[in-house]
Amino acid sequence: MDRVLNRFIVALRGAGVPVSVSESIDAAQALAISGYGDRPVVKSSLGATLAKSVAEKEIFDDCFERFFSFHPLPSELAPAAEPAAGEPSAVLPPIGGMILEGDLGGIALAVRDAARSADLQSIRFFTQRGMFTARILQALNLDQLDRFVADLSPDGSAGAGGTARRIEQGRDAVVDMVRRYVEEQYEIYARESTERVIERYLWDVRLTELEERHYERMHFLIRKLVKRMNDRYSRRRRRSKRGALDFKRTLRANMHHGGLLFDISWKQKKVNRPDVVILCDVSRSMSTVVRFCLLMLYGLNEVVARVRSFVFCSSLLEVSDIFERCPLAEAVERLRTGEGLDIHMGRTDYGSAFWDFTNRHLDAVTGKTTVIILGDARSNYGDPAEGLLKQIADRCRRLIWLNPETPPMWGTGDSEMRRYARLCDLVMECSTLRHLEQLVRVLVRIP
Amino acid sequence: MTDRGRAFSAVETVREGFRQTGYICNTEIATIVYLAFHLEKPVLVEGPAGVGKTELAKKAAAFLNVPLIRLQCYEGLDESKALYEWKYGKQLLYTQLLRDKLDQIVRREDDLGESIRTLHRYEDIFFSPQFLEARPLLRALQQEEGAVLLIDEVDKADEEFEAFLLEILSDFQVSIPEIGTVRSRTKPFVFLTSNSTRELSEALKRRCLHLFIPFPDPDLERQIVRHHVPGIPERLEKQLVLFIHEVRRMELKKAPSISETIDWARALILLHAEGLDRDLTRKTLNTFLKFEEDIRAVDEKIFLLVDKAIRETA
Repeated sequence: MDRVLNRFIVALRGAGVPVSVSESIDAAQALAISGYGDRPVVKSSLGATLAKSVAEKEIFDDCFERFFSFHPLPSELAPAAEPAAGEPSAVLPPIGGMILEGDLGGIALAVRDAARSADLQSIRFFTQRGMFTARILQALNLDQLDRFVADLSPDGSAGAGGTARRIEQGRDAVVDMVRRYVEEQYEIYARESTERVIERYLWDVRLTELEERHYERMHFLIRKLVKRMNDRYSRRRRRSKRGALDFKRTLRANMHHGGLLFDISWKQKKVNRPDVVILCDVSRSMSTVVRFCLLMLYGLNEVVARVRSFVFCSSLLEVSDIFERCPLAEAVERLRTGEGLDIHMGRTDYGSAFWDFTNRHLDAVTGKTTVIILGDARSNYGDPAEGLLKQIADRCRRLIWLNPETPPMWGTGDSEMRRYARLCDLVMECSTLRHLEQLVRVLVRIP
Repeated sequence: MTDRGRAFSAVETVREGFRQTGYICNTEIATIVYLAFHLEKPVLVEGPAGVGKTELAKKAAAFLNVPLIRLQCYEGLDESKALYEWKYGKQLLYTQLLRDKLDQIVRREDDLGESIRTLHRYEDIFFSPQFLEARPLLRALQQEEGAVLLIDEVDKADEEFEAFLLEILSDFQVSIPEIGTVRSRTKPFVFLTSNSTRELSEALKRRCLHLFIPFPDPDLERQIVRHHVPGIPERLEKQLVLFIHEVRRMELKKAPSISETIDWARALILLHAEGLDRDLTRKTLNTFLKFEEDIRAVDEKIFLLVDKAIRETA
């Protein structure tokens, strides 16, 4: 049973339930106590020790039913079950003998043994299915079986022809069976892994190159990231409410009680949530980056106190109200289509965007505001208007520039990044989900 | 211990024992309680509100005939509320009362250094068990005969508190710097409940057996109702449970819990009902629905729901 349990745990891990070593030991002990006799008891015992949340329980149930199910044997082999008399079986591999005898149970067992020797449980990707099928067929000595059939055919006798036909039919059935078995095991061991590979890829893919079919998953990842960040941050904020005894303050506060301590003061840690003003360049090259950045920023209600967002291209426009009115996903979609936006989508002009901002919206920036500018700083050789950016930089608490281009590209051609960078407190590359995560860390750590 | 050993000799015995205390459970719950006893592991119970998570711990205490010690978790719960605290007030009071005595002791010494050394000899008095306020966790460890420790709604406590729990749950001992280590004589049987308002830490989950209690299936719930409302007519009991199950399937703010099913059954018995009818149901909706919107939502469909319950039990 131990080996079966081990295989089951491998299957569970493959399906996305993280089973630790100590948990597998618990499972073995639980089985030793509760016994293997009663299926529901076995299932509950394993469930209690291996799957530790509702989501995991669902996966577990599914996995358990599939793993401990009885595989029905293929019925098309049955007609071959007539006894074969007086035929050569000298170089016939065991599998051939089973086919001739119609020993379905034996074949099923042989397939399973072969699968084990081919290490089928290490299958992870759907592309590996063919390879594993081939390996198992080889372990079953099917090539030897083919040679045997080939040797049989030439002599042309009726009996030999019949045998050859039956073996060939049986062989096809075996191949079919192996294929199905591999398919099944792939479902058991590997379904989740492919997902995980895609997820890993999405963390590092450049947002500008992201294919549209991955958007849905990306949104999911961002939600996950946002949740994690909110959790972590709210914990920090909550901690600030508690604290150790502030002895000095307590003594001072209780002087007039003649040294008796009535009012106790606690040490408090102050953690600020920054106000954020974000200016996004929404020219075409930027649209995916802007989309995911805003999606994340607006989700972080535990981390940031308030977000005001502006978009610009040739001119600048405040879009905070769209985010207040619409659900998040719809709001970013509306920004992308530009529907109902009174903005001039000509050539990107950082100078006039800054001019618009400083003239109309500078009061949005106070000493507590973190200003984030998301743009490639390519101003089409227009006036970079550093003076205006300096006005913003002087007024705000922090100025962060996020550039979706890689640092070597900064300052090349019409990029004004080097010039702007001197005015910023921080310039970061921002082109992947990982960069977005770093952005949150930056927002949180430095007050 | 042998008594207890017998009580936990098999899954079925556990189930029967719980039935006698008034808790009707399915095989899964019985199996996990049985395993928890033998593996000496805490049980983490999750499930919707009102399926009897807390009740399970209470009945386990009754079944084992040991005290139930309950720790209700909330945001900001810390060691001084959960484990132990010094009785600061008593300490202060005693120093004031004993001021003269202390004076006498100190007066004998000539210089400051001597006085402090003398005082040092006495300071242990103020940090002795008499001044220690044991909170639930420590109390559970101190019980000679063992106890059932219920850590309720652990998801409401902060993550640091979870980390602190880990130490206690794995070793069943705590160290109090001034006194020493307190080790449990008999390991308490620990239940943790969670309403999944947040993910619990992996480390905590790893140490526990996990039990998810969903709403019971109709058969089990009927057994529960029969057990708690002995005189109930069979027709009423069938229709009522079916009705509740239909209601649970709706999108409500709060689905009716098992205890509310029982309340409703009792109310209907008081009204001498033999079976459900629309009028009676409508008038008694508020025994198991606690939100105005929920009552309205169910009221709109009451014909359908009652008819269905009656038809299916006919």
